[in-house]
Amino acid sequence: MGNIAFLPIGLEVALLVGAIGVLMVAVTMGRSSRDWAVVAGAAIGVGFVISVRQWVVVGESGTQLAFGTKGADGLAVANQMVAMDKFGALGGMILMVVVGLALIGSWQMVKDLGSRGAEFVALILLSAAGMHMMIVSANLIMLFIGLETASIALYVIAGFLRNRRGSDESAMKYFLMGSFASALFIYGVALVFAATGSTSLYGSTSIGQFLAGNAMPNPGILLIGIGLILVGLAFKMSAAPFHQWAPDVYQGAGTGAVAFMSTGVKVAAVAAMVRVLYIGFFQFYDDWSMAVALIAALSILVGTATAIAQSDLKRMLAYSGVAHAGFLLIAVLAARVSLDAMWFYLATYAVSLVGMLTVVTVVAGASAGPVSIESFRGLGKRSPMLAAAIAVFMFSMAGIPGTSGFVAKLVVFTAADLSGFRWLVVLALVASVAGLFFYLRIIVVAFFEDSDTEETPLTLTGPRIAIGFAVAVTVGLGLWPTLLLDFAREALPHL
Amino acid sequence: MFPVLAFLVGLPVVAAIVIALIPKSRSELLLPVAFGLSLLPLAVAGYMVWTFNTAGGFQWVESTIWLQQLRIGWTVGVDGISLFLVALTAFLFPISILASANISDRLRGYLVSLFVLETGVLGVFIALDLVLFFVFFEIVLIPMFFMIGIWGSSNRRYAAIKFFVYTAFGSAFLLVSIIALAVNAGPALQTISFQWNELAQVPMTSTLQTWLFFGFAIAFAIKVPLFPLHTWLPDAHTEAPTAGSVLLAGVLLKMGTYGFIRFNLILFPEATVKYGKWIALLAVIGIVYAALVATVQPDIKRLVAYSSVSHLGFIVLGIFALTLTSVQGGIIQMVNHGLSTGALFLLIGMIYERTHTRKIADYGGLASTMPIFSGFFLFAVFASVGLPGLNGFIGEFMVLIGSWQTFPVLTVVAASGVVLAAVYLLWAYERVFTGPPGKANKDLEDLNPREIAILVPIAFLIVLLGVYPKPVLDRMENDVNAVISRIEQSTSYERPTFDLEGQLRISVPAEQGNNSSGESSEGSE
Repeated sequence: MGNIAFLPIGLEVALLVGAIGVLMVAVTMGRSSRDWAVVAGAAIGVGFVISVRQWVVVGESGTQLAFGTKGADGLAVANQMVAMDKFGALGGMILMVVVGLALIGSWQMVKDLGSRGAEFVALILLSAAGMHMMIVSANLIMLFIGLETASIALYVIAGFLRNRRGSDESAMKYFLMGSFASALFIYGVALVFAATGSTSLYGSTSIGQFLAGNAMPNPGILLIGIGLILVGLAFKMSAAPFHQWAPDVYQGAGTGAVAFMSTGVKVAAVAAMVRVLYIGFFQFYDDWSMAVALIAALSILVGTATAIAQSDLKRMLAYSGVAHAGFLLIAVLAARVSLDAMWFYLATYAVSLVGMLTVVTVVAGASAGPVSIESFRGLGKRSPMLAAAIAVFMFSMAGIPGTSGFVAKLVVFTAADLSGFRWLVVLALVASVAGLFFYLRIIVVAFFEDSDTEETPLTLTGPRIAIGFAVAVTVGLGLWPTLLLDFAREALPHL
Repeated sequence: MFPVLAFLVGLPVVAAIVIALIPKSRSELLLPVAFGLSLLPLAVAGYMVWTFNTAGGFQWVESTIWLQQLRIGWTVGVDGISLFLVALTAFLFPISILASANISDRLRGYLVSLFVLETGVLGVFIALDLVLFFVFFEIVLIPMFFMIGIWGSSNRRYAAIKFFVYTAFGSAFLLVSIIALAVNAGPALQTISFQWNELAQVPMTSTLQTWLFFGFAIAFAIKVPLFPLHTWLPDAHTEAPTAGSVLLAGVLLKMGTYGFIRFNLILFPEATVKYGKWIALLAVIGIVYAALVATVQPDIKRLVAYSSVSHLGFIVLGIFALTLTSVQGGIIQMVNHGLSTGALFLLIGMIYERTHTRKIADYGGLASTMPIFSGFFLFAVFASVGLPGLNGFIGEFMVLIGSWQTFPVLTVVAASGVVLAAVYLLWAYERVFTGPPGKANKDLEDLNPREIAILVPIAFLIVLLGVYPKPVLDRMENDVNAVISRIEQSTSYERPTFDLEGQLRISVPAEQGNNSSGESSEGSE
């Protein structure tokens, strides 16, 4: 029984041990980044294996909750903190793949940092542990702890290149606004507790049980609480109007760090949002679905409109990320009829984005801050393979058939239409046409224009593998989406 | 049964891979190998035309489900409506490759793009699953985008982006409509399905039908292009390399007109009858407007591009006139336009290689320096204008005869387009070829054997279709008839027919169903 009880938090433990291990290795065995890579890679690998193991165990003996307090009778376990289900297991697998790819992409930056590189790696592992905690938390308090663990590490990562001024500034901005969002989130939790007497998502004393048993004629406080929780999570996934930090942080932080920051936290926040809204507050679907739909529409409009005007690649990707946050929120709404669509969108977008940012680290340097789109000029001639990879990622983000991005949009929009959000589908599709302007611009610069230099970007084995993997996933899932969809259909949260 | 269609669509994919694998040191092999490989789909298409059962209906049908929960799959088939578009596509690609001998920059990527394009276009014409259709419809954009953007002329970036975004804008409405169609049919079919034949059986409210009709129509109208959505076309055609223009005009535009028949007419019969006249009106405005604009173009390639808009108007008019003769005329005109306009773009490409100018004013007197060239050009002009005995005549004449019965006024106006075509094309011919040759044009070389070899097969088909179109018409007749009968069954529409005295009258119920052999014999003459 002993090891079973630790399986639900096995992934967090693995990452934690890995983070400490990297620091210990750095202190005792010197500054060879190769050693850190082995430790971090092992931690991520073990994390992935644990997620797979969770999937198998859940498949055999059902979902389970863990880590509670003893009940009033001294025996029954109440207020369980962590849920072990296929939802969390799949989230863990996706997260581990993304973190692994992002670390490979940022490895050049880790080397450039010298002895501080170990801290950077450790912070990424810690932050990833927090992100996974968000996905599996069965209690709003636990969710908050996960959120803060992930965020605080991210604040430091954002400002890690402290000798560059932009980096400092953006990290400060991120920290202030992030703390504000966290405060709103915890205030929302408090209001929910005030209204329902519970912060738990599962069990006999959960929010859902209370709402099922008690009609709420005036749910004002509860609705404000749900709204504030939404704001906190929307901030993390950079949905409009809570997105202002994203472009500055993306531009200020080293490119290597952005790959992890931009994808991991989106995966965690979207998955956590689905669990909280559907498990905790399903009785109020009509209320929160409208709020989510409005945030989605605003994100898509704002993200698309502002991305068109950007000349910096990372700012462009940040704003396109805002638009994609909107698409992901549509997926959250559509999760009512099809959760696999949500997972598919989340996983494929994350992989494409990490792949794209890895290409950026290769072309413009892993520690670079601002990266002008001009730096891709003539890449089609200088380095055809890299340019082809860019084309694949851009077409995928734009949702062109033949890539996973198209299938993701197809399944999400079909599910959203089924859920009655046709206006949102029309808006999203028209906006994705406008989105072509900035996705195609990268391709135009890379393929249609000649550069002054003949310089070929040096691609090392690591990034080459990461980019190749991302391209393979993007094209492969575009052609055989059932590989992931069939799998994701089982990834339901504990009920 | 051997999966003929999967084989047909798969051949260009294999060809693209083979081309990509040819080592750098042997790059002189690229063109010959590509040409050889492009003959294979042509052989398959030839076999299909030869063995096609004139009884009609979908043939070589394949159906495999790819995504179970949405019932999306590889469902394909060819009927009399799509057969000749498949054949035209397979025919124009080897020609385009031969016409690309002057491409030196990144030839490998160019040829790979061509083969991906061929896959997409063939897929569009055979797909019987709406998502599959949409996938092919969109995939076509990618190679064309690169062809215009990398191998186009001076203003290529602008043209490439405009082309891509403009068409993708229409596709967004297409995708919304496809999804809404499937969701609407969900309760009746007990599942979400994107299968064309299943969706065609589910009734829908006339409001939804109207919305979806226009959702599909916008996408196809941009592709055709229909006035006033045509502004991407002159840029794209003018900036594209020769093969790109040939394929754009020859087959890509036909994806729109084909879509009108396959989806708008069949899925939304009620809305087609109700709003078809407005689409026909736009088509006729396009015929006249584009012809007038073509007349004043100083750039010969732009002139031909506008003539495309004008000619495509006839096809759309014929489709929405909803008579056997007019729709058949529309389909055969799709093939004709692909041949004659394709030939014009090829010829312009050949002269551009020699002079590097497309301005009509820079030419003059070419008839004396390049007699063979000017002969072919005059021939293509005659085919395009619709000289009896050449293919253009058959198509336009059938469209006009057939549409007269449904839209008499529009048809009269459209007929002026035939006259205007003669004006702008012959006037252009006069300015380019007659008179004394200018200094720059004195030493131009006439066509070489390769160029003649490109043009001869097209010329042969132009004459063949002009003199003996019966095999083509026979193969499409039953399927076109079925489309119109379907509209008659599900709406109050009844096709006008000539009675024995030759007077026009609106027929009364007597003629229900597929029995209309009396009328069809008139169509094939």
